[in-house]
Amino acid sequence: MTTTQLNRKLGSAPIRRNLDPADRGKWKRFWLLIAIAAVALVPIAGTFVLSLRGNNGTGDFTLENFVHVIVDTQVVAWLLNSLQVTLATVVVSVLVAAPAGYVLSRGRSRLVEGYSLLLFVIQSLPVITSVIPLFILFSGMGLADNLIGITVLYVGSSMSVATWMMASYMDGIPGSLEEASWIDGASVFGSFWHIVLRNSLPGILSTAIFTFLMAWNDYLVASIFLRSSGTFTLPIGVQTFFQQHSTDWGSVMAVAVIMMLPPALVFATMNKYFSVGGVAGSLAGR
Amino acid sequence: MAVLIAPSVILLLLTNAYPIVYAAFQSVHDGSLINAGDFVGLDNFARVLSGEAFWKAAGFTLVFTITGVFGSWLAGLGIALVLQQKVPARGLIKTLLLLPWVVPVVVSSTSWNWLLSTDSSPIPTLFRSLGLGEVRFLSDPFLAQVTVCLFIVWLNFPFMMLMMSAALTSVDESVYEAAKIDGASPRQQFMYMTLPIIAKPTYISWVLMTIFCVNEFPAIYLLTHGGPVGSTSTLVVLAYRTVFQNFQTGPGVAIAFIMTIALATVATFLFRQIRKSRVE
Amino acid sequence: MNNNSSLVSNVSRRGFLSLAGAAALTASLSACAAGGGSSASSGTLKFWDMPWGTSVYATEAEKLAKSFTGAGNVKDVSYQQVLWNGFNETYSSAIASKTGPAVSTGGGFQAFQFAAQGAVEYADKLIESFKSNGLYDDFLPNVLDAMKTPQGSVAVPWAVDIQTLWYRKSVLEAADVAAPTTWTEFIEAGKKIAAKGYYAWGISGGSGNFGPMAILSLMINNGGGLFNDGGDLDIVTDRNTETSEFVIEAVKAGLTDPGAVSLKDDDLVTQWTNKKIGMGFYYVGLDEAIGDNDVVVMDPLKGPHGDTGTIQYVNNIMMYKNTPSQEASEAFVTHYLQNMKVLWEKKLVSQLPALKSIAGASSFTGSQSNVAIVNKWQPIAKTLATKGTQSSAKLAAIDGGQAMADFCQTLLGGKTDAKSALTKLESDIKAVVSS
Repeated sequence: MTTTQLNRKLGSAPIRRNLDPADRGKWKRFWLLIAIAAVALVPIAGTFVLSLRGNNGTGDFTLENFVHVIVDTQVVAWLLNSLQVTLATVVVSVLVAAPAGYVLSRGRSRLVEGYSLLLFVIQSLPVITSVIPLFILFSGMGLADNLIGITVLYVGSSMSVATWMMASYMDGIPGSLEEASWIDGASVFGSFWHIVLRNSLPGILSTAIFTFLMAWNDYLVASIFLRSSGTFTLPIGVQTFFQQHSTDWGSVMAVAVIMMLPPALVFATMNKYFSVGGVAGSLAGR
Repeated sequence: MAVLIAPSVILLLLTNAYPIVYAAFQSVHDGSLINAGDFVGLDNFARVLSGEAFWKAAGFTLVFTITGVFGSWLAGLGIALVLQQKVPARGLIKTLLLLPWVVPVVVSSTSWNWLLSTDSSPIPTLFRSLGLGEVRFLSDPFLAQVTVCLFIVWLNFPFMMLMMSAALTSVDESVYEAAKIDGASPRQQFMYMTLPIIAKPTYISWVLMTIFCVNEFPAIYLLTHGGPVGSTSTLVVLAYRTVFQNFQTGPGVAIAFIMTIALATVATFLFRQIRKSRVE
Repeated sequence: MNNNSSLVSNVSRRGFLSLAGAAALTASLSACAAGGGSSASSGTLKFWDMPWGTSVYATEAEKLAKSFTGAGNVKDVSYQQVLWNGFNETYSSAIASKTGPAVSTGGGFQAFQFAAQGAVEYADKLIESFKSNGLYDDFLPNVLDAMKTPQGSVAVPWAVDIQTLWYRKSVLEAADVAAPTTWTEFIEAGKKIAAKGYYAWGISGGSGNFGPMAILSLMINNGGGLFNDGGDLDIVTDRNTETSEFVIEAVKAGLTDPGAVSLKDDDLVTQWTNKKIGMGFYYVGLDEAIGDNDVVVMDPLKGPHGDTGTIQYVNNIMMYKNTPSQEASEAFVTHYLQNMKVLWEKKLVSQLPALKSIAGASSFTGSQSNVAIVNKWQPIAKTLATKGTQSSAKLAAIDGGQAMADFCQTLLGGKTDAKSALTKLESDIKAVVSS
């Protein structure tokens, strides 16, 4: 519906960014996008409204739901768990994906190509098949129902995309830089560390944001791996409010708001550093 | 170099090699989650493929994926094209439009449910007041399928918007300037200049989105549990229900396996085609 | 670069191989560990429970469990709640990895399922010991029998989840109808109630079990069931066809919410609370759950052939082989049963207690509806195994499985005929339980 309107719009809108102020068109576009955003954000706005409403159905603005979940439930503990797991995932993912991305970007051997393809195939496997065997494996290692185990899994499952993202940024860094440093006697690792990483900060940020989202938002893996309320992350914790008899919508929506704020804030502040576009370039190979 | 890639390889093996081997084992045994059971050869696969539920789910997976991929691509591309031009408060709008993708699916499925599910929910109330009668989007098998497809488009159009924005910014301004001087209409500019340049990222984004949609579990499960009457069960949801609700580990894993093989084959084929086709 | 990459390929290839070897080794090691002896830590007995009520229930049940003072080498108890959401995979994967509980509550047929897989310790010795402490004679009729399999009793009952018909007095008054006593009257009264703008028959077919339970209750009410006397699947029968036709008729006559197919159980409770529902199935304590004495239990309806009946699920406590001490497991279960009265005194559980002494206590008989359920409904209640007499592991897959949920949603959709819906149900269930 909106897409057809948009496509019709395309016919009439010149695609260029020159300096003649097409002011009327500018505001038309602005309102069009605002209208689309308004429709798209109804569910999210609903969450906010419900979280700020009293449970007595009066519809008065109140913070009681937030007070209730923070004081009477384990939401704060779940929030801390979510933060710990997510931050650890981000750090480890970047540490693992950056060097791997570098090899993918610079390596031209069949093996590297093959590894790139392998990452792609792995990305297409459904988590469903592997989650139970993994649970059994991890239990044997003492990593089930604990935050370290789940962090390892998140790093594993975000790795394909994270590696591509890093590779695509490093493709943009001229190889002459590190070759020069090799001539100066730096090791491969040293030049990667000092030259390449320093120049790929936007790529690192993008990868960090992506893995943050993935780890923060996961439901399926956590629902199987986390069993005691002490280790719940927010997406699992919120499920405890869905009782057999009634759903306490106020509490659920308050937790929902708490759950969506961090990723929304991360995005709002770091939006300009984030780009997934590179993934396409990196996959297509140059 | 090897040192640089080693951690990645180790992790990949740890989180994928063992589970795949184990799942392959389960798919040819009649065990449960607890016991290995006896070797039954391809019996599970035969049973799954001869059942009606599998083909129904395969059909819906196809519909769901095609809608998900092209719906979100069209919406994402359309918005990206508008955002390419002068728009006040572009950053703010972009951030707002990204929210559906950024917000955890546990949250959005909850709010969609609240919007749609009961007689007192906002959307049915709205339909009633517009005189459209009692419409329950999650109760009618067909409407539930439509809702789930809309939901996946809603979840993923921001990702496509990002992909397409990135592709469009790589289009050189001067090309358009030249085209304008040659008197090309906006439509012609789009067809002959923009499209070829964004073709490759588009194909890649289709392949990626295909993988995302086929593997999508929480969005469907949390919204409809695969119902009513299994109408919104994709193969992943069917595999899950088979293993965890009917306790048939072998057949469930077999479903996931068939799906994985099909998807990996299709995705790898497309991927190779794209890498071969040098769209310059 | 080329030199480099050939180096990479050699090293990596070797790395790959050795890693693959390591992974295989880990796999085989963990397989050995899983096949090995019990790894339950001694000293602490793990008890896993389900959210049978609100968070207040959890607090109280934890207190109850932890008041166990120990036995044998067990000094204390750890209490953990397992969410209903995906509970089966939680238990299965925990048992598979030897990290499961020593004792637990759970789904009604979970014990049968895990006993068949060799993970559950049979309770015959424990039940025998109840004869000396008075517990044995305290059980409600038929509940102990519901635990029996040819190999022995798989668990010990603690509560009975029973479906009964409830109605809201003021709604029936507004529609000027008396509480129905037969199926025919139910439809007639329903039409009048629906005409007043209420949902005459409140039912939910979405996630959860309410819808299938209500339909099973009606099947048993009409002298039918999923099995024949010999315990074999026998679904497409005259009685079941009649029952399905009754449901379809009710749907077509507008007795149910058009959105019933996707309503969740908690939506249904909301509708009861908001006074939108006239009649419907619910389990024990609807009046207390919504804090409203306007809703009361109806007398059992007579089916077209004069039968009565409803479905009950005997919820139980099971013991696992993976325990620090079987002696402690048994002592714990005994302790739990002897002290669980508090859960009903504080009105935290919406089920019948499996023990007469609790069902007869003043805290429970204060509600007229509770008394009616114990006196009129429980004696005619039968299990999912009806008309067979013995429960088995396959019931776990039927209860809460896809087949019953689909069947219920098909009927509530109202666009089917009874025969084909039942035929599909039978083939769906056969596909599941023949494995």
